[in-house]
Amino acid sequence: MNNKTNGLGSSNWEWEIRPETSWRNISLVELYSYKDLLLQLTRKEFLGLYQQTLLGPFWALLQPLLTVLTYVVVFNKVIGIPTGGVPPFLFNLIGITLWNLFSEIFLQTSKTFTQNAAIFSKVYFPRIIVALSALWLQILLFGIQLLLLVAVYLFYFFTGQVDFNAGQGLLIFPIIAITAGIGFGGGLIFSVLTAKYRDLLSLIQVLIRLLMFMCPVFYTLSMVPQNFQWLVNINPLSALFEYFRFAFLDVGSINEIQLLYSIGFMVVIVFFGIMLFNKMSDKLIDIL
Amino acid sequence: MSDIAIQAENISKLYRLGIIGSGSLRRDMQWWWQRNILNKENPNQYIRGGKKVDNSEVIWALKNVDFELKVGEALGIVGHNGAGKSTLLKILSRIVKPTEGIVRGRGSISSLLEVGTGFHSELTGRENIFISGHILGMKKTEISRKFDEIVDFAGVEAFIDTPVKRYSSGMYVRLAFAVAAHLEPDILIIDEVLAVGDAEFQKKCLGKMNEASSKSGRTIIFVSHNLQAVSNLCSNALWLDKGSVCARGNAKTVINQYLSTLQKQNWIKEFKTLTEAPGNDFIRVLYTELSPHFVDSFSVVDIRTPLTVKFRFYNALDGILLAVGVHLFTISGECIFDVSHDPLLYKKGIIEGECNIPGDFLNDGSYYISLIFVEDSSKQLYYYEECLSFEVADFRENINWYGKWMGYVRPKFPVITKQSEIHE
Repeated sequence: MNNKTNGLGSSNWEWEIRPETSWRNISLVELYSYKDLLLQLTRKEFLGLYQQTLLGPFWALLQPLLTVLTYVVVFNKVIGIPTGGVPPFLFNLIGITLWNLFSEIFLQTSKTFTQNAAIFSKVYFPRIIVALSALWLQILLFGIQLLLLVAVYLFYFFTGQVDFNAGQGLLIFPIIAITAGIGFGGGLIFSVLTAKYRDLLSLIQVLIRLLMFMCPVFYTLSMVPQNFQWLVNINPLSALFEYFRFAFLDVGSINEIQLLYSIGFMVVIVFFGIMLFNKMSDKLIDIL
Repeated sequence: MSDIAIQAENISKLYRLGIIGSGSLRRDMQWWWQRNILNKENPNQYIRGGKKVDNSEVIWALKNVDFELKVGEALGIVGHNGAGKSTLLKILSRIVKPTEGIVRGRGSISSLLEVGTGFHSELTGRENIFISGHILGMKKTEISRKFDEIVDFAGVEAFIDTPVKRYSSGMYVRLAFAVAAHLEPDILIIDEVLAVGDAEFQKKCLGKMNEASSKSGRTIIFVSHNLQAVSNLCSNALWLDKGSVCARGNAKTVINQYLSTLQKQNWIKEFKTLTEAPGNDFIRVLYTELSPHFVDSFSVVDIRTPLTVKFRFYNALDGILLAVGVHLFTISGECIFDVSHDPLLYKKGIIEGECNIPGDFLNDGSYYISLIFVEDSSKQLYYYEECLSFEVADFRENINWYGKWMGYVRPKFPVITKQSEIHE
């Protein structure tokens, strides 16, 4: 028998279900109690990704390698975009590795509701766990790609084609965190929107493509004509790519104000994303 | 005084048809523009030929449902399809929010609304036990501790490292249920999961549930169409109809009330004049009735209930040798019996008759009766097909098995056994 009876009798409840979810109703205690589920979901997705495949997790390496080769051929050999003395392969690999982190987190998080409708309509757990597990999975895959990048970098370093600066190198970690944050926050907002409007799913693809061209992934900001630079600068991701490249290669035009803009944007979008997601997640089940 | 585990106050759930369901940004924006900027009516309201159809039509899936559940109580929820049973379970499981009302409670909740929630077909049985267990709210240590028990319960030892997509559907369902059966929440919510697996497995499941409610003192909410299971496993029942509570209380009483409204149909057919009565130039059937002799205070026809078929007809032929036969069919058309009597000489006029079907004879199921009128035991005068139809409910006492009882009939011939030898 439950011996929790107290003097007040029925007035002491452990939980309540009300029609509305408040904006600030995020229980960290509850979230923490689901940490096993978070790890398990990440594991499930990771294992599920490579079941019955020929190369398994090597796909995580093959995909950026093939993209880089294409970019080198198209942008550097055919179109002739200069890379400022940096080997084109390394130049593009740096940009694409960080870009993949952003675009995959953004895309996978935005599918939270549409891809998990079946589970969400049958069992309760904090919905954000699924989004967080998508985030972890992408960070894990990014880790594999980062190892590749480091390996390639070391190759160029030992052949004397690039210089290494340890102080600058450490910059990559905060840059990775900010990039992941923007992707996650944006993904949360779009997961709510696509749950309601399925037609936005195709818009996300276009949006990611557009953002990529507005972002110094395969070019540097200094190559952009002066009167078009604002177009790149309004993209909060731009400074991150300049800094990321700077950390590895000591090239590019870095700007602290632009970086602060990125950080501010990240904080706002993550907070807004989490609040919107939490507020809407119960209502969305009705229309999934 | 017992503790209250769940208290639901005025729970209502509204589903909107149309507006929210439009699912297309273009239409919603168009609607918003028209309404807020141009101050016009919702353009999607005009659908068929300019006729105004209210697009914001709503459905109350639940309306003002109140109930309380004490700790350790097992509550069964019964009702027709679409009565709001699943919606209520979803609200209690925190999957959807009520439109109005508050549910308060104490203790952890786990809900089993489907079998195999969160299973990933590419992964092995072992992986899936952990994933499904976590999704249903178990901790890692808890799953590890019960792992062997779960595998054993499901009977899939040999295949535990095989991807579940290669499992037979029976194995898959057994594994999925086995995980769920080992949940140990304070409050367990179960929706019709017993409709899976073979009879052997169902028995296991119900045994497990019985154990959970009677031995571990767990609070259980259980929705099922298997009324026998509900009345045996649950102390109390809630009958929902069209989103509202029809009855609430002792499980046997509520279920019998529910059954009796299900059954009352076609028990009496009476015709005032000869012309409207079914028949032909020889016979007109004026009246047929199925009259049950209920064994207890509930007006439910179950397998114990004796039935009397009464009929009255007009015979237009004077001085004929006439016999009436009663045919009983199952709903699928198999004839259970064909009974009649020796032909008797009748004059023109009204003739009455009846036929007694004893209790403890028919199995549970749906049946219909046809009447045949025969002259000289060879010439069919009239065959009145499907004149009465009725249902027989199941009834079991002290039996821990709720699968379908086999056979068309279920007579109480005793099977006699005795021990003839003792081997020490």
